[in-house]
Amino acid sequence: MSSSRKGASLAVDGNAQKAIIEFAKKSLKQGAFDAVLIPCRLSAGDSFAYHLIGSETILEAASPLPPVMPVQGARVISSITRRGKGKKKIAAIMRPCEARATIELAKLGQVDLENITLITMDCPGVMPLSGYFEDADKGNEVFHDASQKWDSQPMRPVCWICDKFSSTGGEDLHIGTMARKSGSILLVPRSPKGEDVLKKIGLSLEEDVTDWEASVTKYTDQRKQKREQNNKTLRAGIEGIDKLTQAFSACINCHNCMRVCPICYCRQCHFDSDKMKFSFEDYLSRAERRGSLRVPTDTLLFHIGRMLHMSLSCVSCGMCEDACPTAIPVAQIFTLVGDRNREAFDYVPGRSVDEPLPLTTFEREELEEVEQSGTGVLAGQEN
Amino acid sequence: MTKALTIGKSTEEGVKELLRSLLDSGKVKGVLTLRKTGEDGTISYALITDSADIKSSTPLFPLMPINLAKQLSLFTLQEAATEPIAAVLRPCELRAFVELVKRTQANLKNILFVSSTCPGVYPLELAVEGKTEEHVPEYWKAAAKGETAADVRSACQACEYFVPYTADITVSLLGNKEADKETTLFLNTPKAELFVEGLSGKLSEKEPEPTVPEEIRTRRKAEKEKLANEVEVKNLGIDELTKTFSRCIGCRNCSKVCPACYCHVCFFETDTAEHAAAHYERELVKTGCVNMLSDTTFYHLVRLFHVGASCTGCGQCADVCPADIPLWAISLKVGGAVQKAFDYVPGRSVEQGLPITTFSPEEFAGVA
Repeated sequence: MSSSRKGASLAVDGNAQKAIIEFAKKSLKQGAFDAVLIPCRLSAGDSFAYHLIGSETILEAASPLPPVMPVQGARVISSITRRGKGKKKIAAIMRPCEARATIELAKLGQVDLENITLITMDCPGVMPLSGYFEDADKGNEVFHDASQKWDSQPMRPVCWICDKFSSTGGEDLHIGTMARKSGSILLVPRSPKGEDVLKKIGLSLEEDVTDWEASVTKYTDQRKQKREQNNKTLRAGIEGIDKLTQAFSACINCHNCMRVCPICYCRQCHFDSDKMKFSFEDYLSRAERRGSLRVPTDTLLFHIGRMLHMSLSCVSCGMCEDACPTAIPVAQIFTLVGDRNREAFDYVPGRSVDEPLPLTTFEREELEEVEQSGTGVLAGQEN
Repeated sequence: MTKALTIGKSTEEGVKELLRSLLDSGKVKGVLTLRKTGEDGTISYALITDSADIKSSTPLFPLMPINLAKQLSLFTLQEAATEPIAAVLRPCELRAFVELVKRTQANLKNILFVSSTCPGVYPLELAVEGKTEEHVPEYWKAAAKGETAADVRSACQACEYFVPYTADITVSLLGNKEADKETTLFLNTPKAELFVEGLSGKLSEKEPEPTVPEEIRTRRKAEKEKLANEVEVKNLGIDELTKTFSRCIGCRNCSKVCPACYCHVCFFETDTAEHAAAHYERELVKTGCVNMLSDTTFYHLVRLFHVGASCTGCGQCADVCPADIPLWAISLKVGGAVQKAFDYVPGRSVEQGLPITTFSPEEFAGVA
């Protein structure tokens, strides 16, 4: 799974979070970056937010692995670079699904990666927001214990079935924490940018990665099985228009799934536009056709539209599900649909920035398939 | 004294009877009310045009999936209702609708408003967990005593405006001990009298407010104080605000479900509220550290500023907040203060001008 069979080791007196901070500080000090984008605990209250930090002292207060994901990191990078890259070199230290979403946004023209170095770490998952906020102190404890054991149970349901919690190759540098002694991290470069960082901070690639890789592979296989199982169960529950309608029946049309989604970048969603505002007579005649019309209308159409637009790039981060006020398993449904769609294109979102989006490219055979099925229908062969 | 119609059926059935008769007689072409759909009986609003579908309606179910004012505004934004319809809604929804009419986002024409003395609604969360049904008996027991059941929205427990202002028909619920046996409909307008014609029941003259509203009001006020204190929004100083909003994830769902927030594009979603990389880099040079989720308190303050006067305290904002910020308490506190300063009750009447669209001469003296 790794392009290089060696990594660099960095050890501190403490835990992996401390080691990551130490690495970030070193990088700043050696001028590998001008700033680090990293989550920090907010001084007031019990939440976390991404901060852009240019000072080693302030970096001390960072929380590279917060127990929750209030905002998807890809959205943050997009808000910095959407209007064009800045002058400063930024290291973005984030969870793998955030980096993968960032890469998708780069392909979609919403992120400029030139001055950004993506750094990911082995991710134990994140807890659902509302569960965490009920009692943040307890949440911190639960998260700490669970992440030590790589137990995803207290995490978001999509974290339970996440098989890309480690390096996927699209990032510039990955930080391995699995199968490591406490306070010791493994730095695995995945691009020339990543190699350059290690050079600048004077770390050489001398550490064997076999144990880490074996551990990651073991968990990946377990998660893949879980994911398959979850997809199968879920599919039985939502297949067909009736079951699908039922699955989304509690939707209140708030579109919050879309607003927290890192991939949904449209400035204005079609479903929030005037196009979806109808005249009184339209509503009444729709109701009269069937005897009654559920309101808000067109909720299922919204979800299917969203699915069509973003499911190929969906990284299963679970933001949507966390932000849904009626607890619809949006992220799991999109994972299921996305997995099937991506399989058809052999596409992994965030695997490589050079891998084109499936809908922006084609292979010759695809045209033949379309042609054949088209003529088949015309010739009446479908009957 | 107000005219009242008593129907010899439980209130739930009596209201359905009313809706059915409105449709069957052709007095209305559609009815907007709550309805149970699907196998698991999810509750949503529906525009019912076929009286056979009234059977699956549940007009008084203690849930507010959306604030109906928002939907009614969508129905009447482009043009007023071209055919008469009836809408069954809570007092706060009706008040929000009246506010939207004043803000030219909705039209009152051709709508018969059926509201009730309101015992509150359960949070969406409870419905999601599938637990509303088991709470319903307790809900009605409390309502008969003029109380709010435990676990209804905090916003409802603290609501003083449980009697609708501009309803054509008011269904008697709060403090009505006979609600499970007979239906009492107060006919507040000539329109109401016209629309119930032909409905079998007993007409009489009754006191407009069926129970001891002052007692209920006092209790709700006390509850408001208590709950507001619990969520630590006593002073609303900058420290407290920053702390309260620190959990905000910037999703702005509170504004999306708010009936008073009607802007087509929110300022905070425009280009103007976005920054180029250079902005962040300048901030970085100045302070060494930039919070990338920084405008959240600003957003909430602006929202309070924009909608405070029209906030009807429905609690929809708090219900959908992914971070469980007690937005209802903040809205009540700030909105309440603004409303008091202008002696304004949102939704009390269509004629009462919005505070910032009107003035009294003394205000100038105050400014000078």
